[in-house]
Amino acid sequence: MKPLMIRYGTFFASCALFVLFAIFAPNFLSLGNLTNIVKHISFLAVLALGFSLALTTAELDLSFANVCSVASVSAGWLVHNNYPLWSAVAAGLSVGLVAGLLNGILVTWVKVPSLIATLATASIANGFAFMITQGVAFVGAWNPDFLWIGRGNVAGVPILIVWMALLALAAWFLLKFTPTGLRMLTVGQADEAARLAGIPVRRIKMLGLALSGLTAGIAAVLMTANLASAAPNSAGDFMLTSIAAVLLGMTMFEPGRPNVPGTLCGALTIGMLGNGLVLMGAQYYVQDIALGVIIVASVAVSSSFLKRAALSI
Amino acid sequence: MSTRREFIQTAGATVALASLGAQAQTRPSIGIIGFQMSSETHARVANAAEAAAKAKGWTAQVLNSRGEMPVHISQFDTLIQAKVSGIIVAMGKPVEADAQFKKAKEAGIPVITVMSGSSPHAPFDISVNEYSVGSRAAVYMLDLMNYRGNILTQRFEGNTATRIRGKVLDAVLTENTAVKLLGTHTMARTAAWRDDVKAGMSALLLKNQGQVDGIWASFDGQAYVIDDMLQQTAGAARGKPVLVSVDGGVETYRRIADPKSFLMATIAIPFERMGTESVNVMERLVVKREPHDSINAGPYIYMQSDLVDKTNVAQYIKK
Repeated sequence: MKPLMIRYGTFFASCALFVLFAIFAPNFLSLGNLTNIVKHISFLAVLALGFSLALTTAELDLSFANVCSVASVSAGWLVHNNYPLWSAVAAGLSVGLVAGLLNGILVTWVKVPSLIATLATASIANGFAFMITQGVAFVGAWNPDFLWIGRGNVAGVPILIVWMALLALAAWFLLKFTPTGLRMLTVGQADEAARLAGIPVRRIKMLGLALSGLTAGIAAVLMTANLASAAPNSAGDFMLTSIAAVLLGMTMFEPGRPNVPGTLCGALTIGMLGNGLVLMGAQYYVQDIALGVIIVASVAVSSSFLKRAALSI
Repeated sequence: MSTRREFIQTAGATVALASLGAQAQTRPSIGIIGFQMSSETHARVANAAEAAAKAKGWTAQVLNSRGEMPVHISQFDTLIQAKVSGIIVAMGKPVEADAQFKKAKEAGIPVITVMSGSSPHAPFDISVNEYSVGSRAAVYMLDLMNYRGNILTQRFEGNTATRIRGKVLDAVLTENTAVKLLGTHTMARTAAWRDDVKAGMSALLLKNQGQVDGIWASFDGQAYVIDDMLQQTAGAARGKPVLVSVDGGVETYRRIADPKSFLMATIAIPFERMGTESVNVMERLVVKREPHDSINAGPYIYMQSDLVDKTNVAQYIKK
C-alpha cells in the first residue's frame, strides 16, 4: 500500500479531482470540454517538459517563459512582415536554442549558478522582446499555413495535442532509452560520481539547459501560430504554472525526480483545475487559492509517505 | 449509526447543491473576464459589472486572465462550454482572440466588451474616446503652464489607451514649440511597474532638477508614484511642476483636493458606469431580446469622460 501511495498518491488525487468535477461541474465530461482542457495545457506541458529536462541535470532554468516570449515575437515579426514561413519557425526555434546555449555556457563554463544565470537571461530576453515589439503586439491577417501549425487538426485531433504528445514521447524516449538520457539522470542524481565515472558533466548539463531553451522556442512557435499574435509578455504566466506542473509530477511515478509522465499529469491537473472551477462558477481568486492548496496537499501527502517509508528502512 | 447520519447529511447536501444548480439554470448567467485584474481599472469594470448583474438577480462569475493571451482564450473556451448567457470582457483583446469571439457568436453567446476595441463577432464595445481624453489631458497641462516651459512624460506603450494618449500628447506638442520635452520614461515592466516608474522618473527629475514645469503621466497609478516622489522633494511646492494624468478614482480625487499634492487634474473615465452599462446592454440583448440596431447604431457605445480638477473635485469626492 505504502509504495503505491508514494508512487501514485498525487496521481490518485488528480483522479479524485477528475471524478469530483465530473459530478459537480456541468458539462465537464463533454468531449468538447475534455478536448479543450488537453488543448489548452499543451503550451504549459511543452514548457514544463523543457524545464524538467534542465532539472533532470540538476540545473534550474528560470528563463524559459521570457525566452518563449522573445522567441514568439521573433517568429511573429517575420510572419507579420510576410517573410517565408520556414524562416519564422527557424527564428523561433533558434532564439530558444541560443538562449538555452547561453544559459549552458554561463552555468558550465563561467560557473554562474543556474538560478542567477537564467534570471539574467530572462531579463535580457524580456528586454529584447520589448525592443522588437516596442510594447505593441504583432497582430493581423497572417499566413494560414503558419497558423495551421497551431490551429490545425490531424484526423480530427487538434494539432496542439499532437505536437505535445510527440514532444512528450521524444523526451520520454530520450530519458528512458538512450545513453544520453541515462547520463542526464546520473548527472542529476550525483554529478561528482558521474564525473568520476567519466561522464562529461559540463556537456550533459549544457545539453539539459539547451534542450530547455529549444523547448521554449518550440512552445513559442506553437503559441504564436495558435494565437495569431505575438506579444512581449505572452508566456510570462507560464513560469509559475510550469514549475508547479513539474513539482507536482515529481511527486508521482518516480517520486523525487522530474519525469515525463509526472510532468504531463501535473500539467493536466492544473488545466483540469482551472477548467473545472470555472464550470462550477468559482470566482477567479478561488482558482489561485485552490491551485496552491492542491499542490501543497498532494506534495505533503506523497512526501509524508516517502518520509515514513525512508524511516522504516 | 453515525454512518447513516453521514449518509443522510451527504444526500441532503447533494440535493441542496442540485437544487441550487437548477435555480441557476433558470436565471441568466454571465461570465465576466477581466484581462488583468491586478490593474485597478480592469478590476473596477469587472467588479461593477458583477455587482450590477447580481443586483438583477443574475449569476455572475469573474475570471482573471492575468494579462496573458493563452489564459484569456482558455477562459473564453471554458465559458462557452459552460453555456453562459453572455460574456463581458473588460479591456480584452478582440483581435488576438478573434477565433474565440467567433466561437461565442456561433454558440449564440453575445460578448460585450469594455474598452477593448470592436470585433465583427461582438455586438458592442463600451468605451470612451481615447483621442479626446488624450487631447484634453495634454491641453489642460499646457493651459496650466501658459503654453511654455519644460516637461517630462511618463508613458506606457503596452496598452492601447495609454499609447493613444501619448501619441495625442506628441501631436499637441508639435503645435506648441515653446514647450520643450526634457525627457521621457517608458514603463517596461508590468508586474513591478511602480518600482519601474519610481526608478525612471527619479532619474529624470534628478537630471533636470529645478527645470521641470510639467509632468504628464499616461495613467493615474503612475501619477501617484510621481506625486509621492515630488512630495518628498525638499523645497517643492504644488504647481511647480504641475502633474496631470488620466483615469480618475477615489485616490486621485483625494490627491487633487489635497493642497500638498502635485496632481492637478485627471480625466475621469467612468469605469464603474461602463461595467454597469455592459450589464444593462446585456439585459437588453439577452433578456428583453431587443434588436441590435435599436440599442446602438454602431459598434461603439461611447461614455462621457470628465475633466476633474480643483474646481469640481468636491462633487466627485461626494460620489
